[in-house]
Amino acid sequence: MNIYKADVVIVGGGGSGLRAAIAVAQSDPSLKIALVSKVYPMRSHTVSAEGGAAGVKRDDDNYDLHFHDTVGGGDWLCEQDVVEYFVQQAPIELTQLEHWGCPWSRTPEGKVNVRPFGGMKIERTWFAADKSGFHILHTLFQTSIQFPSIKRFDEHFCVDILEEDGRCQGIVAVEMATGEFTMIQGKSVIVATGGAGRIFRESTLGGIVTGDTQGAVFRHGVALRDMEFVQYHPTCMPITGLLFTEACRGEGGYLVNKDGYRYLQDYGLGPIGDKPKNKYMELGPRDRLSQSFYFEMQKGRVFEDPVLGKHVHLDLRHLGKERLHERLPLICEMAETFLGIDPATQPIPVRPAVHYTMGGIATDNKCETTLRGLYAIGECSNVGLHGANRLGSNSLTELVVFGKLAGDEAAKTAKSVGFGNTDSLHKQAEAIEKRVTAFKAQTGGKERVATIRKEMVQTMEDGCGIYRVHDTMQTTCDKLAELRERFKNVELDDKSSVWNTDWLTAIELDYQLDVAQAIAYSAINRKESRGAHQRLDGYEQRDDVNFLKHSDAFYVQGALPRIQYADVKITKSQPAARVYGAAGEKADAERKASHV
Amino acid sequence: MSEQKFIEIEVLRYKPESDEAPHSEVYKVPFTDDMSVLQGAQYIKDNFDGSLTYRWSCRMAICGSCGMMINGVPKLSCETFIRDYYPNRITIEALAHFPIEKDLVVDLSGFIEKLESVQPYIIPAEKRSLDQGEYIQTPAQVQDYMQFTSCINCTLCYAACPQFGLNPDFIGPGAMALLHRYNMDSRDGGAEQRMELVASEEGVFNCSAVGYCSEVCPKHVDPANAVNINKTNAAKDYFLRFLSPKGGAK
Amino acid sequence: MSKRKPYVRSMDGWWKKNPFFVEYVIHESTALFVLAYAVTLLVGLIRLGQGEAAWNGWLAALQSPGALVFHLALLVAIAYHAYTWFKIMPITLPPIRVGGEKLSPCAIITGGLVAAAVASLGLIVLVWRIAA
Repeated sequence: MNIYKADVVIVGGGGSGLRAAIAVAQSDPSLKIALVSKVYPMRSHTVSAEGGAAGVKRDDDNYDLHFHDTVGGGDWLCEQDVVEYFVQQAPIELTQLEHWGCPWSRTPEGKVNVRPFGGMKIERTWFAADKSGFHILHTLFQTSIQFPSIKRFDEHFCVDILEEDGRCQGIVAVEMATGEFTMIQGKSVIVATGGAGRIFRESTLGGIVTGDTQGAVFRHGVALRDMEFVQYHPTCMPITGLLFTEACRGEGGYLVNKDGYRYLQDYGLGPIGDKPKNKYMELGPRDRLSQSFYFEMQKGRVFEDPVLGKHVHLDLRHLGKERLHERLPLICEMAETFLGIDPATQPIPVRPAVHYTMGGIATDNKCETTLRGLYAIGECSNVGLHGANRLGSNSLTELVVFGKLAGDEAAKTAKSVGFGNTDSLHKQAEAIEKRVTAFKAQTGGKERVATIRKEMVQTMEDGCGIYRVHDTMQTTCDKLAELRERFKNVELDDKSSVWNTDWLTAIELDYQLDVAQAIAYSAINRKESRGAHQRLDGYEQRDDVNFLKHSDAFYVQGALPRIQYADVKITKSQPAARVYGAAGEKADAERKASHV
Repeated sequence: MSEQKFIEIEVLRYKPESDEAPHSEVYKVPFTDDMSVLQGAQYIKDNFDGSLTYRWSCRMAICGSCGMMINGVPKLSCETFIRDYYPNRITIEALAHFPIEKDLVVDLSGFIEKLESVQPYIIPAEKRSLDQGEYIQTPAQVQDYMQFTSCINCTLCYAACPQFGLNPDFIGPGAMALLHRYNMDSRDGGAEQRMELVASEEGVFNCSAVGYCSEVCPKHVDPANAVNINKTNAAKDYFLRFLSPKGGAK
Repeated sequence: MSKRKPYVRSMDGWWKKNPFFVEYVIHESTALFVLAYAVTLLVGLIRLGQGEAAWNGWLAALQSPGALVFHLALLVAIAYHAYTWFKIMPITLPPIRVGGEKLSPCAIITGGLVAAAVASLGLIVLVWRIAA
């Protein structure tokens, strides 16, 4: 086994990992950084984010408004001190991206332009056409190249983290091109590996969004927090789940049912104005829009198609060809390529699909986990920013705000502690190598990785969908237990060393099953409806008395995860009714009046 | 229900630990009209042979992972549809001109080194602090470089470039497009620093203007344009240096 | 020991593997026809230097049926060469903006071809006049 020593080890080369690496490099050029990613960094899933990044920009906007949109959007499950820090840092970090070359869309005067987004009261979404994530990722990756202290381990798969004396002291990675193991010893470790959405069947996500590193951290006793909150994005391509950005609605798109009726007005998001209005109708938050689709489907008012299945229409025709091509070029391209549709002349069929996991590795407000020296950032983490529902365009900003913070903190830690005992870590690493290599040696079993994965994603969709009831969630829990057992009988087709993706997906799946259990058990135990967790079995209301709490899932070897509850930090926004449309406006006015 | 349709997919397989050279294998894959060639490959991996190896991720032609030769043409397999080939056989092969690591996976380390060598980051023309806010850049100034920011590093252009195939040291279309992107950015002042590479042995003069790179580019970056504009720039730079007071000395 | 064994495919006959490359090799090879015509003219120049008889001999040779066929072939090849030269012009030029809009590749190609046609016609008319 190769051994490499770095001051800071970062797992994940997406937006947050790269931002953290740059932060460490800038804070002290003498610190050695190992940036480990299972794909070349520019392939990371940040690349697929379309709409943009939220940060106060206009004169009529302020931090308070962004704070209240975020906390209300998260159904008061946000850590409010974290949100306060976030909204203040957002414009600074987005400006930093501009200085590094991010091609933000501009006003005619040459300043950065902002667009409206769902659940945001004022236009504050910075965008680079409809490829904002792509441009942010490439800007960060390219910028990172100038720092010689960042040593990249591209196409290296992290199989586990190393822990000794109550500290995280490194990781073990497999070089995909050779199948060889490397122990990367570090003084601090940042996990930035993205979400776990691929645990569900129909999702907008890339194949790499597997959540396996969350599983690895979970097994080391760190809580996975608020895992039951899974965001369904309302406008996705049927079957493939590919995303049509919220910016489609930000630019003024309509959602209509099979009668050509803008059905959102029936679900507390109206009334329809003559112009798109923030927090009304299509500019409502994602959870509400996806939930409305569910009810329209129950009422039989959606389109049904033998190929595309049940769907509604996203109508952009009234925006005109020119605006569509300027503001939503990727959407036009995707509709054309994948559906053979020109959005300027035809409505786009859409339906909800899994898009984001609000839950993740629990951290404090400095991104550190309960395992000292281990930090988590971005979608894999739960720092408490999104609460029970993430607002669109907050997550791209999250990457840079908390990437910077974690980078600075991990650098401080690395300077305050020495390297641990390499020999004993090496022994641990060898045990890990033995454990994961054993998958290749398993013979005689009849199970295939692909089969178990298929059954897992299906049962998660069935039990932990947009609406949930106890019985189906229990079925999902039982199914996951069965899959856990059957996983022991997996036999791989590929037992070689070079580029063995059959083996790597087995390692992934092993961890994914744990994360899936964390999601299902967190969900079945939350007996209320809040944000993206909605129940139809007698718990239709939010219950602040019992459940204004984070659910923390802890790994228990050979048994079910243990669910505990932790308090939510409230600074200046007391829980209130979460309302949008005209009712939302009324509530805002009342809140203002009470402050005077 | 209409009858299940099948397509034959011929894959160029190569297992470095047991094969001396690549060989073809044919699979008969059931498909529906919405299935991409990538999904065809996934079907083979999930149902016939888990050892089939390829890169993929986003499925929406933006991550740049899944390029392969499809019936001899470099394409992103996620946005190439089986229906467009049916009933004929589809052949898929690792991207041309790169060494094959295994099956459809090629060695990209050379490309990554080139990408790093073009100094693909803003070398500020004029330093600006964060307190001063953003650089002012008009929409017209953005247009000067925007097209070249669209490169997804899928390397289809390298698979389309015979000069790269003949001389793997050639910096190539994709990396040159990225270099040009920064040179054209009004915030950047690094063009002079990048010129040495442009005019070097590995630089733009390897290009013989075949133009196929721009033809296959899935994002309409037009890398051939970036390369050829820089031929002019390099020539200008060469001659102007003799006119400068230092007489071409650095 | 690494078990990697990257396989490098041969570039032999690369230009036959793709219709795009075949066309490329054809249009590049039409440059030889340009060369052939340059040589023809150069021979004329040498013959001129050798005196009137030599020059007249060269002129006579040009009028032989073989020379006419040869020139016809040259004309076709060079016309194709010119066409493909303009066809790749858009990728070789920096963006040309007219009223803020980038000139389309089609406009550049058409512009080039029209300019070439006008220049050729102009030259023919001029030579015709001088000869007359």
